Amino acid sequence: MGGLSSSLQVERQKRGKHSKRKKRKRIGFHLDMTPLVDITFLLLTFFMFTTTMATPQVMEMSIPPEQVEIEVIAEELLTVMLRADGAIFWHIAQDEPTKVELKDLRRVYERENLRENVRNKLITVLKIDKDVPYGYVVNILDEFNLAELYITQELAKIPDEEGNPTERKRRFTIAKLNEEELEKIKEL
Amino acid sequence: MPKVKKKRIGFVIDMTPLVDITFLLLTFFMFTAKFKTEAESEQKFFIQRPQASADTSKLPDRDLAIIKIAIDTVTYDTSYYYEIVNEEDRRMVWANTPNIPPEQLTRAQLQVDLPLLSQLIIETRKVNSKTRFAIDADRRIRFQWVDEAMEALRKGRATLFNYVTEKRQ
Repeated sequence: MGGLSSSLQVERQKRGKHSKRKKRKRIGFHLDMTPLVDITFLLLTFFMFTTTMATPQVMEMSIPPEQVEIEVIAEELLTVMLRADGAIFWHIAQDEPTKVELKDLRRVYERENLRENVRNKLITVLKIDKDVPYGYVVNILDEFNLAELYITQELAKIPDEEGNPTERKRRFTIAKLNEEELEKIKEL
Repeated sequence: MPKVKKKRIGFVIDMTPLVDITFLLLTFFMFTAKFKTEAESEQKFFIQRPQASADTSKLPDRDLAIIKIAIDTVTYDTSYYYEIVNEEDRRMVWANTPNIPPEQLTRAQLQVDLPLLSQLIIETRKVNSKTRFAIDADRRIRFQWVDEAMEALRKGRATLFNYVTEKRQ
């Protein structure tokens, strides 16, 4: 240590006329960060305003490969019909259609799917008028998807033949509303 | 004797914490930023997607073909558009499909009619059988448009597909 400081002093003495000036000891240093902050904020605001946070999500859908006729037990068929003005009707088998509000549709769907005898065997057909706005259709599909959660949960409580929790088998299809059905729900 | 006051000229603020946090935010936004695809920058429409409840599912970013049904912002015409995300597949499908209008051959996204849409779906399945399909339709259009697109998918034996939706606020 002593050797180092003495060598420094020697160096200072060599500087001639500057050596008389009183030296201030420097502790750290200051860096002007203003330009850095300027440019960083500029970039930050750019990226903040150009990002879109809402990324699109998807809803999975499957359709039967070809228009094939399948024999269905009438009791196991739940038909939900969607009229052009957005009104929703439902019926089991060949019963008379009943009107239902969108907010009540989930309850109906859950109840019918968990009804004894047809539990887990029910086939849902969503029949849609060709003039319905696409957004309405997605709203109904969304309600069905939400109901699925409760149905799966309830079914799991019921043991099957082997004593394991019942696994949910979802059977669903989309179809077009035909003239006859259209006539039926026209006045309701 | 009163103390002699030193005159202050300016002042210094320590900007280090400010810079720290700004850089942190900057890097976050830079890495999460997703830029428009080639097809999106070409299109003259904006799709108002139907709203669905929050879901963790996301659109895949590879092996994807999107059938868009959109309303043109200028003419208010509804039309089908077809986009393939993989560039390599896109080039091959465009080359293999007859009937594509020559002025559209260089585009990333085609404006198509139903017969051409059917052909394109079949060609896409030939080129890359792993391709997944998505229907990205405007929520205001009539369901018939979607139904006809689904019929085209059925003919192309692509019976499993996705609807593109938006999270409900």
